[in-house]
Amino acid sequence: MIEKKTAKKILDILKKSGGDFSEIFAQKRVSNNLRLEDRKIENSNSGFEIGCGLRLISKDSTFYAYVDSLEKEPLLNAAKVLSAAVSEKSKGSVLDLNERKSNYKIKVSSHPFNVGQQYKKEILDEMDQSARQYNSSIIQVTATISDMEEEVFIANSEGFFSIDSIVKVFTAVNVVAKKGNEIRTGYESLAKTKGYEIFSDKKPGDIAIEASRMAVTMLDAVNAPAGSMAAVIGNAFGGVIFHEACGHGLEADSIIKDASVFKGKIGKKIASSVVTAVDDCTLPFHWGSYSFDSEGFPSGKNVLIEEGVLKGYLSDYKSSIKMGMKQTGNGRRQSYKDIPVPRMSNTYIDKGKNTKDEIIKSVTKGVFAKEFAGGQVDPATGDFVFGISEGYLIENGKICEPIKGATLIGNGPDILMKIEAVGQDLDFAPGFCGKAGQSVSNEVGQPTILIGSITVGGTQV
Amino acid sequence: MVELIDLCKKAALAASRKKVDEYEVYMASSIHNEIEVFNGNVESLSFSDTKGIGLRVFKEKKMGYAYTSNMNEDEIDKCIEKAIENSRVTGPDENNYLPLAKDYNYPLQTAGRENLFSAKINELSTEDKINMAKQLEILAKKKDKRISGVSELIYDDSISEVAIINSNGFEDSYRTSSAFLYLGLISRSGEDVSTGDYFGFARCPQDIDIENIADKAAYRSVKLLGAKKIKSQTTDLLLDPFVAVQFLGIIAGISCADAVQKGKSLLAGKMGTRIFSKDFNIADDGTLENGMASRPFDSEGVPKGRTIVFEKGILKSYLYNTYTARKDKTLSTGNAARASYKSPPETGISNFYIEPSEKTVEEILSKTGRGFYVMDIIGLHSGTNPISGQISVGAKGIFIEKGEMAFPVKEVTIATDILSFCLNLDEVANDIKFMPASGYIGSSSMLVKDITVSGT
Repeated sequence: MIEKKTAKKILDILKKSGGDFSEIFAQKRVSNNLRLEDRKIENSNSGFEIGCGLRLISKDSTFYAYVDSLEKEPLLNAAKVLSAAVSEKSKGSVLDLNERKSNYKIKVSSHPFNVGQQYKKEILDEMDQSARQYNSSIIQVTATISDMEEEVFIANSEGFFSIDSIVKVFTAVNVVAKKGNEIRTGYESLAKTKGYEIFSDKKPGDIAIEASRMAVTMLDAVNAPAGSMAAVIGNAFGGVIFHEACGHGLEADSIIKDASVFKGKIGKKIASSVVTAVDDCTLPFHWGSYSFDSEGFPSGKNVLIEEGVLKGYLSDYKSSIKMGMKQTGNGRRQSYKDIPVPRMSNTYIDKGKNTKDEIIKSVTKGVFAKEFAGGQVDPATGDFVFGISEGYLIENGKICEPIKGATLIGNGPDILMKIEAVGQDLDFAPGFCGKAGQSVSNEVGQPTILIGSITVGGTQV
Repeated sequence: MVELIDLCKKAALAASRKKVDEYEVYMASSIHNEIEVFNGNVESLSFSDTKGIGLRVFKEKKMGYAYTSNMNEDEIDKCIEKAIENSRVTGPDENNYLPLAKDYNYPLQTAGRENLFSAKINELSTEDKINMAKQLEILAKKKDKRISGVSELIYDDSISEVAIINSNGFEDSYRTSSAFLYLGLISRSGEDVSTGDYFGFARCPQDIDIENIADKAAYRSVKLLGAKKIKSQTTDLLLDPFVAVQFLGIIAGISCADAVQKGKSLLAGKMGTRIFSKDFNIADDGTLENGMASRPFDSEGVPKGRTIVFEKGILKSYLYNTYTARKDKTLSTGNAARASYKSPPETGISNFYIEPSEKTVEEILSKTGRGFYVMDIIGLHSGTNPISGQISVGAKGIFIEKGEMAFPVKEVTIATDILSFCLNLDEVANDIKFMPASGYIGSSSMLVKDITVSGT
């Protein structure tokens, strides 16, 4: 995309008035998006984006500029303008560029550019029919397929460059079920860093049926209880609680800003000893996986918590320098328009010893939160809230009626200590995570877990 | 420098040569600056000057869309071809064609465009903007000795331009400017940590009141130190405008005609019925003077206007773009909206607000014997299902006893559903504030009766 010689020149110009680090992030992206609603394809959209972001770091300050071009002249001009932000005594140095390799390599067999919109339309039609056939109470189905192919070139003044190509496919089904005055929704998605072969792992119809099952089940939901009680958190997407309430506080920028409850806690016990947690961007084909992070650093597996003891944080280049710790390959950005920040990739609580049945049976009175609509956390305090999209009452060790309109509210560090049991059924779920105005692909994951006591925010006092 | 409308014309000319029934070229450009300050230092500074083009084509009442950030002629041509290819898979619909003057509910306005842009934004250098952000940090830290740091301080400004040309002869453009300052503060007392934030915005940075941002952020952060859980109970809620706009945002979403027509709104089939038990008026006004979301025309070129959505508590109108209006055999209220040039127009709000009363928040507080003054909510996005209407969010604030602020509260949830919320909405004060959402939403403090608070 950008010649090595040109890259070196741009990096040089960036540092001509000084600075500690200069970087080029060039990107070409082709994306397609198809949406079905009201039984027909409502939107068929494709996009072409090219652009380049230039970064200059001087001491604690980052200077950034981007252009919608990969041509030499606009890039050299932008580099000149950006270099003027720094005025140091001597020029910064740029090492000769050598290609950096990653151990994470995957093979894509069905590239999106070979797949026509008609094929995707047929998948969406199948989803619509399967969702509606599941139950007559389904009144609306919205299904989307998005795909993306991307080429990325990154080079920096430390003498590294990397070339990467990324393929992603995302599909999701939202359904609305109605019975009398009650309206409920259901959701299911499938997303991987691979091509259209994703539909050989899971049939489109089955994805749709899962969304319908959830909406229809919830039609009979009773009001959720209000107050403190035990909660069993379902596997896969249940991991969103760890992601939000703990994961963000382990991203190094929040530690630097003193906006994390986990600051100064490395080597200390921060969770119950049944908890081991990991961030791993090398899980093959997972939605949050990559060969290189958005700074061209090779991906890796990072243990965050081992048997309750805090082992490490997630860093990008800038935070690793500032904190004097190793770079973990978690510097990510949404596109060339954004400055990379430390982000999670595939983050999960690892397998434990108990079975799901044992965990449910151990609860006399509580809730089973199977699926969540998402959540939010204040990383400085660790306070979080999660909306339960599919949940049930547990009475005397048995799963009972579904409950509606419930949330879980608590405090991350507090809840980590209250995890009493961890199951064996580790699974993952894809999603998008927002931070600093940027959205990136993530997976959350966990086995079924038991939290001894947490506030359930229902309406039934 | 090439004018945006001229670039737009070039693309329109290319589109006119293709075999399509209708076409529309939407272009957006933006000059954007963002500065983040931390501990008296520029943490980051980002600037850009970018453009994008979105092409919508109609062929046999089928719509196709494609966009590109590459202004190269060949790329634009490729983009048009892709839009045509995309039109082949979409479902045909008799209402699927470009807006005509007879679809307009409001006349085209020529006045008011000067309010959208302030030339003063060009008077400040990057250095001036950095100093303004640093000044805010200094001011805020002085407000209270319990303030231990800044979680986020961001200055952001942009000059944007939108140009639309379509094959029905529409050709126009407008320019806007905006500046935004956001401050998040962390305060500590012993082991206890609390956060609070506030922001300000205007058409130019000079018009932002930084003293006010520092004051409010400090108050919101420090006030909640020492907060505790309370027992689960049903009580009255006094919502800060900051919180009230977030609830109003849910109502804004279900007032949009596409949500209604697709069975995703509890307001479907309720036209002309009473939704609020009290006589509140709620409007969407795309021509509001000084409104940050005011525009001469919407994102498909239809004139903006003032639409009364609820009048004296009764549902009067949904918000329409051209397509949804034709479906309901009515006129477009100028509510076509797009997130960016990357998507075709859908429906969305402009300046959506509930009319303030003449009562002060103090008057309302003093007559609230016992209740919960909610200063912040979290998890609105995940805790609310706008389709089913269920709401359950985390909240913090101050407990009210005998009409006075008694003690801070945290880690509780408030749960209700949208329609009960509307019925239980009892008072709206006179302290209206607007907040950016997908458009801008404005509300004063609200008193809502009998809501479940879940704690211990």
